[in-house]
Amino acid sequence: MAVVRVIGRDGSKQDLDVANGGQLMDALRDASTGVQGTCGGMMSCGTCHVYVDPSWVDRLPPKSEDESAMLEAIGELVELKPTSRLSCQIAVDDDIEGLCVEIAPPV
Amino acid sequence: MGTIDLKQLLESQTLERCPFPIPVGWYFIDYADTLKAGEMRNVFVFDQEWVLFRTESGKPGMTDPYCPHLGAHLGHGGKVCGEHIRCPFHHWEYDTEGWCKNIPYAKLMPPIAKKQAILRALPMVEKYGMMWAWYHPQCEPPSFELPYIPELEDATGYTGSRRGSWTADTCIQEIAENGPDVAHLKFLHGAPIIPPVQTTYEGPVMKLDIGQGYIQGTSYGPGLNVMRFNQHGITATMISYSVPISKEKTQMNMSFRHVDYAEGTPELAASKKVIDHMIGAAEGEESAGFESVDFIVWNNKKYRPNPLLCDGDGPVLQFRKWFKQFYPGYENSTKI
Repeated sequence: MAVVRVIGRDGSKQDLDVANGGQLMDALRDASTGVQGTCGGMMSCGTCHVYVDPSWVDRLPPKSEDESAMLEAIGELVELKPTSRLSCQIAVDDDIEGLCVEIAPPV
Repeated sequence: MGTIDLKQLLESQTLERCPFPIPVGWYFIDYADTLKAGEMRNVFVFDQEWVLFRTESGKPGMTDPYCPHLGAHLGHGGKVCGEHIRCPFHHWEYDTEGWCKNIPYAKLMPPIAKKQAILRALPMVEKYGMMWAWYHPQCEPPSFELPYIPELEDATGYTGSRRGSWTADTCIQEIAENGPDVAHLKFLHGAPIIPPVQTTYEGPVMKLDIGQGYIQGTSYGPGLNVMRFNQHGITATMISYSVPISKEKTQMNMSFRHVDYAEGTPELAASKKVIDHMIGAAEGEESAGFESVDFIVWNNKKYRPNPLLCDGDGPVLQFRKWFKQFYPGYENSTKI
């Protein structure tokens, strides 16, 4: 279990209780944050893009080549930041307690 | 009396008819003129269904039937669109190499689709007036090329429209093994003697000389065998191109060609007679062609990985060793 702070596309803030075991994308999708997660974690749709708080960039496991490729593709449509991640690649466990993410604009 | 070697007596219980996977190679799919530009059809070879199509510009393609998107069957309702095959379900399009070229509603092409083909497609060439596909279980590219065959590619020197197709209930290796197994020529086919045989192996090519030049065959992988019969002062050629339908069923296809001798010449008569003899019984010949005698053996036998061979048998084991290269991943298998 972890509490994740979510900044919505409209700037609103909420704290989400997320259960261990899944991916952050599922929790964000189920909380109607605008994250769609259409491809279910295959890194082929780009609809779960978030900006993580800069203080968290180095605390999360690094991006895979496939995640980087999808983020690069997203960059054609929306703003990419050094803190951009696919939330389907962030596993939920106790270590992400306090993580803060901002939902990126839709592709 | 020693103890009985029970393994010898009981091994038959564990034998399989065809313990082999589909071998690597170039295989005949169909005659080129049976598929027009823009046409598509489903074919069953290599133990699965495939969608065979020809683009508007004339390029043949052969892909796995099931769309990588949501699994629709491209060959049921799909169509050729320009240079692509289009899935009926959401109109995703693929080229003949299996690359996704269009998703009409997506803003972003999934990254893997930019990196590689996402639909399995077999490399194809058109040669000898036929469509050929390269089969490799791990989708590796062709490791050899199809040869020049003058009898099929020299438009002026040769003739012969005779061709046939037979289905054998066994795998391609078992059929091909009859080449080096020269002893069966005397007993199954009724040849007057067991002819001497010489074989040479070089990469995917096996050359077979039966009866000191009487029959000279060259195999190019499992799917193409050119046999030249030098008899009665002429050479007649059997081009054999078998394709595995499944692990236990093979479609044997053959074309028979000879030099374009003038009508009424003894050479023409001899050529036709030699060709008759390749297939079945021929007048004045004691021995029988493959059609009349080989199938009963092929269709009912089991494969013995440890055969009991005797002196006078042909180079069956050398042949098997050569053939094993077409089963990558089975190098250490004891069943083959």
